[in-house]
Amino acid sequence: MTARGDRILGIGLLVLAVAYGWVAQGWPEPFGGAETVGPETFPTLLAVVLGLSSVYLILKPDPDTKWPMGRTGAEILLSIVILALYAFLLEPLGFVISTTLAVSALCWRMGARPVSAFLTGLISAVVVFVLFNYALELSLPAGLLEFE
Amino acid sequence: MDTLQFLMDGFAVALTPTNLLFALFGAFIGTLIGALPGLGPANGVAILIPLAFTLGLPPETAMILLTSVYAGAMYGGRISSILLNIPGDEPAMMTCLDGYPMAQKGKAAEALAMSAIASFAGSLIGTIGLILLAPVLARFALTFGPAEYFALFMLAFATLGGITGKNPMKTVVAATIGIMISTVGIDIATGTQRYTFGVLKLYEGIDFILAIVGLFAISELLFFIEERAGAGRKMIKVGKLMLRPKEILAAVPTMFRGGILGFIAGVLPGAGASLGSFISYTMEKQYLGKKAHFGDGDPRGVAAPEAGNNGAASGALVPMLTLGVPGSGTTAVLLAMLISLNITPGPLMFTQNADIVWGVIAALLIGNVLLLLLNIPLVGFFVKLLSVPPMYLLPIVTMVAFVGIYSISHSAFDLYFMIAFGVAGYVLRKLEIPMVPIILGMLLGPEMEKNLGHALVISDGEWSILWASPLALGLWIVAGLGLILPYIIGPILRRRMNNAMKESPTSD
Repeated sequence: MTARGDRILGIGLLVLAVAYGWVAQGWPEPFGGAETVGPETFPTLLAVVLGLSSVYLILKPDPDTKWPMGRTGAEILLSIVILALYAFLLEPLGFVISTTLAVSALCWRMGARPVSAFLTGLISAVVVFVLFNYALELSLPAGLLEFE
Repeated sequence: MDTLQFLMDGFAVALTPTNLLFALFGAFIGTLIGALPGLGPANGVAILIPLAFTLGLPPETAMILLTSVYAGAMYGGRISSILLNIPGDEPAMMTCLDGYPMAQKGKAAEALAMSAIASFAGSLIGTIGLILLAPVLARFALTFGPAEYFALFMLAFATLGGITGKNPMKTVVAATIGIMISTVGIDIATGTQRYTFGVLKLYEGIDFILAIVGLFAISELLFFIEERAGAGRKMIKVGKLMLRPKEILAAVPTMFRGGILGFIAGVLPGAGASLGSFISYTMEKQYLGKKAHFGDGDPRGVAAPEAGNNGAASGALVPMLTLGVPGSGTTAVLLAMLISLNITPGPLMFTQNADIVWGVIAALLIGNVLLLLLNIPLVGFFVKLLSVPPMYLLPIVTMVAFVGIYSISHSAFDLYFMIAFGVAGYVLRKLEIPMVPIILGMLLGPEMEKNLGHALVISDGEWSILWASPLALGLWIVAGLGLILPYIIGPILRRRMNNAMKESPTSD
C-alpha cells in the first residue's frame, strides 16, 4: 500500500461528514417556525461537500509521504508533550520559570548544547517578561516568583 | 480627483508619529521575518496579531503595523535566496536563479542592493496600481447582491490552490473543514447552539486567531524538528557594495515590466506572488534574449522576479480590501485582523472606514520608502541575524506565540487549543492538505452562510437564484475553471518551473 495516508484521511473525513450532517438534523426548529433557511441548511450542505470529496480521496488517493518513525517520531511527540506541559505549568510556576524550562528543553531537543540552550531559555524568558510587564504593562503570571 | 483627496487623508493618518513609528517597527520586523528560515510572511503576521491586540492598538495603527510587516517580509525573503540559495518564502524562489550565482562570484552585496531597489520599484508600481484599481473595483462591488457574494466566495476558494496547485480536491477538503469549524457556536440568525456539546467555551465559536497561530507557528516547529534542520547552513560572505548607477539604470526597464506583470498576477485570483515572480522572470528572459546572461548571475535576473513578487504583494491587497476576499495566505491573515477589529471587509469599507483603507495604502507607500532606506545600510545586520540557527530561533518564536495567545484571554485552555491546532496542522500538512483554505474557511464561513441565507430568503427558497444573474453565473464558471484548470495546466507549468530551476547550473 502506497497511498494509505489519504485513504485513512478520507475515511476519517467521511465519518466526520456523516456525524456532522447527522447532528445538524437533530436541532430543534427555531422559535417562530421553520423558514426556508434554518440553522441546519448550511451545515447539511457542508456535510455533503465533505462527504463527496472524502469519497474522492478514498478512491483516488495521492501517493504517501514519508512519516517520521522511530527516533524522529519520538522527538516530535516529546516536543508536543513539552508544549502541553508549558501550557499546563504557565500559571502555577509563573512565566519566567516555565518559559525557561520550555524554551531550553526545545532548544536542546533541536540540537543546541545544554548550556547554551539553558541560557537562551533564561534570557528570552526574562527579556519577554520584563518587556511585557513593565514596558507594555500586560501582566504575565509571576507564579512562584511572586513577591507581593 | 476623489482618490487623491482620500490618499492625502490617508497620508495624514499614516504620518502621525505613532503610526510612523509602528510602520518603521513593522517594516523592520517584517524584513526579519521574511529573511529568517522557517518564518514565512503569513506565519509572521499571524504571530503578531495577538500582540497587536493586547497592545490595544487602534484599528488603523494595527493595520498599518501588519501591512508594513507584510511588505517587509516580501523584502526579506530574498536575503536567504541570494546568500543561501534557499528561498525564505515561495515567491523568492526565482530570485535564487541569478541571485545565488551573483553571490558566488563575490557580488552578494550588489545582488542584495539590486534586489532591494527592484523590490522598491515593484512595490511602488503595485501600490500605484492598487490606488487606481481598488476604488473602481469597490464601486463595482457595491452592485453585488447576496447571490453574487456567495458565488464570489466559491471563486475565492476554488482559485486559492493556485493554478500550480497540486490536488484541487484537497483545497476543497481544507476549505470545507475551515467552514465547518466556523459553524461551531451559537448561530447568529436563529440562536440555535451548533456543535457546542454544552461546552461553555464553545458558545462563542472557535477563535480563529488561536487556530491561525497554531496551524502556522506550532506546525512549523514540528516540521523543523522532523527535518532536524536545527543547525542552519553556511552562507556566503557579503563583500563591499560596489553597485554603479549605470547598472541600476540598466535594470530600470526590467523592474518596470516586472512590477506591472507582478501586479496583474497579484490581483488575479489564484495566481499570487509566486506566479508573479515566475512570469516576470521568464518573460524578461525571453524579452532580453541573448543580450542578457540569465541564470548566470545577471543583475536583471535578480531585479525581474523581485519587482514581480513585490508588485504581486500589493496586487493581492486589491481583492482583499475591495471584496473582502483574500487571494493569498498572508492577505488571509490580514483579513483575520480586520474581522477581529470588527471591521466588515468589502466595498463598504471604502466609505465607512475610509481612514483605515487609505491609511493602510499610504502606509504601504511610506513603508516602502522606509524599507529601501532600512535595507541598504542594515543589510549586514540582517545577514548576521540570518546566521542565528533555527534551533534557538524557533523555540523563541513559539514562546512569543504562547505569550500572544495567553495575553488575549489569560486562559491556559486557549493554549491547549492552539497546540491541538498545531498538531492537526502538522498532520494535515504531511497529507498535503493546504492550511490557507482552512483559515479562509474559518474567516469567510459566517459571511457565506449569511449571504446564502439572504439570497434564499429573497428568492423564497428557490436555489437557482444563486446563479440567476449573469454576474453570478460568470463567477461560478470561473470558480469551476479554477478547480479544473490545475488538472490540465498545472503539470505543464510545474514542469516549466522545475526546468527553469534545473537549467541554472548552480541550483541543486
